[in-house]
Amino acid sequence: MSEPMGFWRRYVFSTDHKVIGRQYLFLGLAMALVGAASAYIIRWQLAWPESQIPLTRWIPEPAMYDGHLDPSFYNQLVTMHGTVMIFFVAMPILLGALGNFLIPLMIGADDMALPRLNMLSFWTIFTAAVVLLASFFVHGGPAASGWTAYPPLSDDPSYTGVDWGQNLWLLAVALEFASFLMGGINFLTTVVNMRAPGLGFFRLPLMVWMQLTAAVLFMLSVGPLIAGAVMLLLDRTIGTTFFLPQRGGDPLLWQHLFWFFGHPEVYVVLLPGVGAVLEILPVFTRKPIFGYRTIVYSTIVAGLLSFVVWAHHMFVAGIDPRLATPFSITTILISVPFAVIVFAMIASLWGGSITFPTPMLFALGFLVTFLVGGVTGIFNGSAAVDIFIHGTYFVVAHFHYTLFPTVFFGGFAGLYYWYPKMFGRMLNEALGKLHFWLTFVGFNATFLPMFLLGMGGHMRRIYNPLQYDFLKPLAPVNQFATIAMIVLLLGQIPFVLNFFGSLRYGAKAADNPWGANTLEWQTSSPPPHGNFSTPPTVHRGPYDFSLPGAPADFVPQHRPAAVGGRAA
Amino acid sequence: MSDATRFPSYVAVWAWLVALLAVGLACAFLPFGKAIAIFLVFTVAAAKAFLVARHYMHLRSESLLIYAIAGLPVLLLVGLTIALVPDIVFRR
Amino acid sequence: MTTAAVAAGERIPSGKLAVWWFLASEIMTFGGLLAAFVLCRFAGGGWEDQAAHVNAWIAAVNTLVLLTSSLSMVQAHRAVEDGSRRRAAAFLLVTVLLGVAFLGVKGFEYSRELAHGFTPSTAPFWSFYYGLTGLHALHVLAGVVANAALWIAAVRGRGWAQVAPRVEYAGLYWHFVDVVWIFLFPLVYLS
Repeated sequence: MSEPMGFWRRYVFSTDHKVIGRQYLFLGLAMALVGAASAYIIRWQLAWPESQIPLTRWIPEPAMYDGHLDPSFYNQLVTMHGTVMIFFVAMPILLGALGNFLIPLMIGADDMALPRLNMLSFWTIFTAAVVLLASFFVHGGPAASGWTAYPPLSDDPSYTGVDWGQNLWLLAVALEFASFLMGGINFLTTVVNMRAPGLGFFRLPLMVWMQLTAAVLFMLSVGPLIAGAVMLLLDRTIGTTFFLPQRGGDPLLWQHLFWFFGHPEVYVVLLPGVGAVLEILPVFTRKPIFGYRTIVYSTIVAGLLSFVVWAHHMFVAGIDPRLATPFSITTILISVPFAVIVFAMIASLWGGSITFPTPMLFALGFLVTFLVGGVTGIFNGSAAVDIFIHGTYFVVAHFHYTLFPTVFFGGFAGLYYWYPKMFGRMLNEALGKLHFWLTFVGFNATFLPMFLLGMGGHMRRIYNPLQYDFLKPLAPVNQFATIAMIVLLLGQIPFVLNFFGSLRYGAKAADNPWGANTLEWQTSSPPPHGNFSTPPTVHRGPYDFSLPGAPADFVPQHRPAAVGGRAA
Repeated sequence: MSDATRFPSYVAVWAWLVALLAVGLACAFLPFGKAIAIFLVFTVAAAKAFLVARHYMHLRSESLLIYAIAGLPVLLLVGLTIALVPDIVFRR
Repeated sequence: MTTAAVAAGERIPSGKLAVWWFLASEIMTFGGLLAAFVLCRFAGGGWEDQAAHVNAWIAAVNTLVLLTSSLSMVQAHRAVEDGSRRRAAAFLLVTVLLGVAFLGVKGFEYSRELAHGFTPSTAPFWSFYYGLTGLHALHVLAGVVANAALWIAAVRGRGWAQVAPRVEYAGLYWHFVDVVWIFLFPLVYLS
């Protein structure tokens, strides 16, 4: 265990979960650049259609013509934006980075149960990312049928002009699925088998519960889509006819298989972001989280319900109308457990000694923005309303008001909070606060107007809104959103400077700079190989803050009952 | 756990599996009605799968967690299949 | 490598737990494909005219091959539990050979069908036929490779103590592949 390792074994092909977690983080952040770049081009095109888009003249034909966007490339960018952001930014950062880094530490283990499988999982997604990026460079360009890849558009190359790009997309997504299946197996096995003595399930930090639930949801939902992806790939390569209606296939089958996975998937992405916020709130209010068990049970209920709501993505797809009612009911129902969790978060703030360092700002930012996302989900969930707003910018605004909060408010909250533990340095507070405000204002200014666009009938995925007379009056809204987005993008510069600058120049981090209770803070920053010099024993829950009679306003989990006062 | 329960006669189980294979083939080729034949054939398959899972995969001596891990996907698949019937089977 | 156990004795080994989680996702994958097949077949009116062209007897032979390979696989596991490396190696070899036999028969079947002009594009039945049996065959191949690796380790003997527990896990995977075929066989060949 302590034999000297070469550079490659130590930093590249490492089996240490902390190294692997950081590798996932860097992958996610790098791919975020690709996602952001595509968003920039899309939004500029929507605001000033057919104009020359600044900074794009280096992109060659047939994608762009001296800075003018080709309509097919627009579709490809829309596809890649969604694919990259969900599969190669959100999941790597929230599950791959935070999950891998934190789970063994939070349960007092020295590493994951299956370290070599862990390493394999990272290199699999790395390969997947390379395959996806390679699709930009093949003849015909990358996939162009949306991140949802509906057939027949995705099934027949003659419809989009894209041939190998779509095949590579399928391969990349399949590899990504394999990577997270491996990761999920590791998360589940590790949490079941490697918890420290005394760490029963109801003393687990809520982040661990969220990662656990996310892993289960992913593993049970992805199978049918893997089947569907195999079917689509076979349609495209060996001439099967699964989804081609003119040859006896059924395109609706794809949609069902996709969304059976697609809906649990959004909760896979959501839960770790929620977990980060739930870890941060108690620390910066100095009081226990409100309703620990309620949150756990609500999460489990939401997870179960997430398997029976998927057809709300298909209300206007031509499904049997009698299916619409039960799926509307389940969709509205699923807002209940999430509302409970949000109420618990608000109640956790009540009466607390609240301070506002950057992690807390981002956590509160999550609360405010996710509320909007959740509430607007109810509009979409009602089949009657959805008939009008499906396929419009109302939906785009809704899912950005859920995905962005979890990835960029929850995820950043987690990054700012755990950066000292991951890298042994403190981030700069002033830059952090600047980053927060630019992100918060920029995000809301970009996406709030999109609800209005949607209600005005503005369709998704169209190349030039000005081709439609009824959309011309909405052009200023598009322009406003684009300018706001540029502010949002520029607002990430303080973060980049902070992140990389602090690696070298940040103040050295103490073991427990925030005064938190969970086990990762009871070892050095960063932890040594093997995590804990002596394996800890747990005597209490994770949120013993401001316990009456305790010597300090926080009592770490490994403090015995006699020393720290009544255990929770 | 006694040796007899840990290691049932695997060969006996195999013999049952082969017998069920023969029964299944018979059901398919004898003059039953189509619906009955399909039902019988599927029941035979379920019985064979049960034998393999219980005796070869040692499910009979495993904990509740393993049953849950194996059983939950099956339930989900049944649900998915039923939910898809209106759209896939009856579309025209 | 591991920290102290939470409760003494009742823990499922990590390897076994991991394999069962993996099988859960595989159940969803094959189950998804099988469900799609059943549904589309009902929708398409049964596809009996196309289905008549597959040979149930050849597939029955393959079923027998796979069932027997499950027997040899579980005997290999039992040999490991008894501590007999040579018996384990023998049974692993039998399993590998039976797996290869299955693939050989499948290949023979495919060549017959393709020669008769039944390609994946011929009809939806054939899309599912090649998709289902092809995906299954890939899984058989993966199992054959895994079992062969275990057989080699058993024959060599060096480091066997570390590797021996994996026979059980490979066995779980192999039995799963057998169970998939148990359902595939009647749905494709006997309906």
